[in-house]
Amino acid sequence: MEGSLFEEADFFRAIAESGARGLLIGRRALIALGIPVLTVDYDFWLHIDDIAAFNAAIEPMGLYPTHSPEEARARDRYVAENDERIDVAFDDLWPRRRSLEVAAGVVLAVPALPDLILTKRFGGRPKDFEGIRLLEALRREEGP
Amino acid sequence: MKPLETPSPEALARVLALSERRLSPEEARAALAVPLGEAEEEESRSLIRWFRRRYPTPAARLAYARRAYRRWASARPVPR
Repeated sequence: MEGSLFEEADFFRAIAESGARGLLIGRRALIALGIPVLTVDYDFWLHIDDIAAFNAAIEPMGLYPTHSPEEARARDRYVAENDERIDVAFDDLWPRRRSLEVAAGVVLAVPALPDLILTKRFGGRPKDFEGIRLLEALRREEGP
Repeated sequence: MKPLETPSPEALARVLALSERRLSPEEARAALAVPLGEAEEEESRSLIRWFRRRYPTPAARLAYARRAYRRWASARPVPR
């Protein structure tokens, strides 16, 4: 999803009020947590049952998802197998989520730091691995 | 001062392809195997501390990033 000239607080409020379970991932999540990087996209990982509610909440703002509901459903979990098998499902991440207040009474959910690092591993691009290093530094900054 | 020479569409496409390509499993393993060095960690943590001090709330950080992106987008060279 690409950002435009909408009010960001209204956008997050609409998502929160829709009740859709969505985790902000990608570079925008890094920014919210305190890592200064640049991006134009809002990447959300949604619960498989909440895709329609999420889309309905953002459409009045002229925002449209870049993946169809079918594609999004196919991303219910990420699995990668190289030397090790990594298998992450939304339902595993959701209970460990971190809540950030982004406007008065509006809470945005992001994955816990170790989970956000895992999602970056699935991105697999050079900038995802740069993001992992910055997230590792943030994890050490925050301490145990 | 000499005006900035705008990149060709082909050059931009090559840069985009490089930045968006997926690393091979071997490259990914190699990238993950490099530990965060002391200097890199301190530099990154210092950057994070500065950003969090300057923009103490998630909302302020997100707003800053939108402004910064708009500035960057308006200043970037248009392909010839």
